[in-house]
Amino acid sequence: MAHAAQVGLQDATSPIMEELITFHDHALMIIFLICFLVLYALFLTLTTKLTNTNISDAQEMETIWTILPAIILVLIALPSLRILYMTDEVNDPSLTIKSIGHQWYWTYEYTDYGGLIFNSYMLPPLFLEPGDLRLLDVDNRVVLPIETPIRMMITSQDVLHSWAVPTLGLKTDAIPGRLNQTTFTATRPGVYYGQCSEICGANHSFMPIVLELIPLKIFEMGPVFTL
Amino acid sequence: MAAPPEPGEPEERKSLKLLGFLDVENTPCARHSILYGSLGSVVAGFGHFLFTSEIRRSCDVGVGGFILVTLGCWFHCRYNYAKQRIQERIAREEIKKKILYEGTHLDPERKHNGSSSN
Repeated sequence: MAHAAQVGLQDATSPIMEELITFHDHALMIIFLICFLVLYALFLTLTTKLTNTNISDAQEMETIWTILPAIILVLIALPSLRILYMTDEVNDPSLTIKSIGHQWYWTYEYTDYGGLIFNSYMLPPLFLEPGDLRLLDVDNRVVLPIETPIRMMITSQDVLHSWAVPTLGLKTDAIPGRLNQTTFTATRPGVYYGQCSEICGANHSFMPIVLELIPLKIFEMGPVFTL
Repeated sequence: MAAPPEPGEPEERKSLKLLGFLDVENTPCARHSILYGSLGSVVAGFGHFLFTSEIRRSCDVGVGGFILVTLGCWFHCRYNYAKQRIQERIAREEIKKKILYEGTHLDPERKHNGSSSN
């Protein structure tokens, strides 16, 4: 989960998120250099003694400041498109989970190997145990295996919601009447948090998502396979 | 960027954010690129000034040198970093395979020895 006042990205828990962090660093360095150049140009503008207002015909400068931005955009676009197509790859998922958004909770369905269906409500402050996270912890977590390609089918029963888990690099809209698909492979075990990311009413901020990622051997012993 | 470190974990370095957003301490290759860029900027700017004695133009050359050297170091370092990550991932997979399949017909070492003896 994010720590207080965190501005940057969370650590990656999936290969896609690792790629996104790499791309973010790449784009940020380019942005930094552009900002540096602009600040320098601003400084020169404010400190110049040149006051001739009839300057015209700066062909070389015009050529440079047309071609250079085009090159910069290509440098940013190529890795971006690579990752975009990577997120669309579906690598033969071993497990499919349905996630249904409601006002204001999530329903999860594990129907591959049985009929496990449950709701996931935020824990009200009065029900928190010591160590629980306020406004983030839920009564029933989504338990999933690591190092296994998983498909999430996301929809909604009422209004728009969005199922998001930042550390996995996931954010998919839950649209009533439509089934959206996203896939991921988690690389390390742990408990990971997300929040609804599409305004959906009074309690939009109070319907979090909690994934509990565990080793496959332990997952196979759980209720999904023994129901 | 990350959660506070657990006891026993190496402490995350204090973040220094250039222009308020570029975290040079925790972004791989950023510190290295900025430092080399600064050195390149000083060398280029000062060198130009020594030859021409023009202050303004030398400052422009310095800024241009900073941008070019930083960008060059950045791409070079990130390329090597990406190569290293791929090699680490391959090594991790091979170690896992070795542990899982040691002594069986799927043992990667047995396959490798078999192909080299043929």
